[in-house]
Amino acid sequence: MSTPTTYAPTPVRSARTGVGVVIGAALVLLAVASVFTGVSDVTPASLLRADADSHAQFLLLVSRIPRTVAVLLVGASLGIAGLIMQMMVRNRFVEPSTTGVTEFATLGMLGCIIFAPALPVVGKAGVAAVFGLVGTWVFLQVIKAIPVRQLVLVPLVGIMLGGVVGAFTTFIAYRMDLLQSLGQWAQGSFASVMAGRYELLWLAGAMVVVAWVAADRFSVIGLGEDFATNLGLNYRRVMAVGMVVIAVITATVLATAGIVPFLGLVVPNVVSLIIGDNCRRAIPWVAGLGAVFILACDILARVVRFPYEIPLSVIVGILGAGIFLWLLLRKGSRAH
Amino acid sequence: MSVKRPVALISLAAATSLAVAACGGPETAAGSDGESTETVTFTWDRNTAGEDEDPQYEETSVEAPVNPETIVAFDIASLDTVGALGGEIAGAPLDNVPDYLADYLAEDAFNAGTLFEADLVAIEAQQPDLILVSGRSSALWEDLNEIAPTVDLSPAGSYLETLERNTTFLGEVLEAEDEAAEAVESLNAQIEDVRAQTAELGTGLGLMVSGGSLSALAASGGTEGGFTYRSGIMYDVFGVEPVIDDIQGATHGEPVSFEFVLEENPDHLFVIDRDQAVGTEDAQAAAEVLDNDIINETAAAQNDRIHYLNPVAWYIVYGGLDTTQVMIDDISAAL
Repeated sequence: MSTPTTYAPTPVRSARTGVGVVIGAALVLLAVASVFTGVSDVTPASLLRADADSHAQFLLLVSRIPRTVAVLLVGASLGIAGLIMQMMVRNRFVEPSTTGVTEFATLGMLGCIIFAPALPVVGKAGVAAVFGLVGTWVFLQVIKAIPVRQLVLVPLVGIMLGGVVGAFTTFIAYRMDLLQSLGQWAQGSFASVMAGRYELLWLAGAMVVVAWVAADRFSVIGLGEDFATNLGLNYRRVMAVGMVVIAVITATVLATAGIVPFLGLVVPNVVSLIIGDNCRRAIPWVAGLGAVFILACDILARVVRFPYEIPLSVIVGILGAGIFLWLLLRKGSRAH
Repeated sequence: MSVKRPVALISLAAATSLAVAACGGPETAAGSDGESTETVTFTWDRNTAGEDEDPQYEETSVEAPVNPETIVAFDIASLDTVGALGGEIAGAPLDNVPDYLADYLAEDAFNAGTLFEADLVAIEAQQPDLILVSGRSSALWEDLNEIAPTVDLSPAGSYLETLERNTTFLGEVLEAEDEAAEAVESLNAQIEDVRAQTAELGTGLGLMVSGGSLSALAASGGTEGGFTYRSGIMYDVFGVEPVIDDIQGATHGEPVSFEFVLEENPDHLFVIDRDQAVGTEDAQAAAEVLDNDIINETAAAQNDRIHYLNPVAWYIVYGGLDTTQVMIDDISAAL
């Protein structure tokens, strides 16, 4: 720090700890900011005043805290879904939205809008999860069938698969005049999140825990099927667990907040830059950084056009695409 | 088949309502016997630029045959008005024709495509005498006009001005000028009634519920391109006082949170259930979305003043005679 001639090497571990502290502090700060951002007058002061016509306490419990918790859960779980998928496919550039999983889940959602529009969100998410599971399976089969596993080829195939399923979904929606309804579902936004309509996301949170418990197994999976089997791992079972984790996270997030692009791609890659590829070690980092990223985006979405909101996915898309490009193009990138 | 009904109706009307002041155009003659060579000229400013371009208008005139045998309507509102005036539609985007207008279709009506895309082959095969487009289907004009005289009944001026212009024109085409005038007069009178009462209604907010999210609808007098005012009809036409007046006149309103609704706290909520417009008949997806602690805290919910509007009428059709009646009834039910 002091002079360039100092040769004492900065201990890598403490540098990492420093980044960890920054992420943790940002998480707490942004979470508090998120709770106090909104249309109504909910501030620490108004909470203490607690007069009769103030909705402050009511809104804090029913609207603000649920929204912040939902954002946290989405950020954490989407990052994990991306991480697990990257381990399973052994490719750094996949995540549910670049492998067709999201498109399959969206197709399930469309089916619900058409056949059971009054189905509660839980039901819709359940159907979407089943479709997401099928989507993950189809993607893995397609990837298996590709002889050459080039780094860029895998996500490319995934994007194509997603394109085919997405086109089918769009066609049906177009014929049924449902494009806008579908667009509303798919458009990532936390505007309608409140108590009673986000709890599903705890399922996604539970999947984060599952992923953490099984983290070492995913690390081994990341070494390849033969290697994993040689180590005595039940390859198929671990893959099945991974598929369920991905499908449930994708579907619950889709049903409650919509499509949040890039997050599952960008966050695990950034974390890998900081701490390397150990899955168990990476999981809390990915969860934390994912939450920080999306908290910031959601606050922006609420502030830019106050008192209206702009779709969260717009902000995530712009920032995420920027970071993704940086990851691809930065010096010394492994992605050549 | 398709000619007889309007002719019978019209001769009946002519016989019984001779006393009504004549208001037909000079070009329409009484006593037509089905085959007519008369025409009614319809002139409008046609947007010649593409859909997402800056509009460029060019005055366009089309000679519409009086008493046409085969009418194809891409504009559901015109289908509505033609039917209400005793005519019959031979072809339309059948998927978009709501149940309450199904009777206005010929028994062997053919599917002419979708609101955005014409099935040109099917239409050509039917050799129509007149094609009606508007709004969403305006872009089809050039293709369709090569098949048959095609008239664009897109909004121009206010909602009621457009309704009157279109009804009058279609009345002349169908030789039902008197019915047209009466219908417009009756709707205008009812709307005056409603307006007198909505003035004391307090504030209102139009909400479109779609895919689990809310959009606040705009009060906008604007009619450019014809798309903006559908969301503002409840304010502009029916006189509901908007709870806020700075919503952008975007086609689908502005995305808002439940908290926004509670904060603005309008006396009445007018809900258009976008999903139900196309979904199952009884499904009220919007009711499910709005049944929550925050909305239940609003004055509108507590006084039982959340009104579900007919989504097909308000969102998809808006502008025909029967549809305007549906809208009047919806607002009247809220009074």
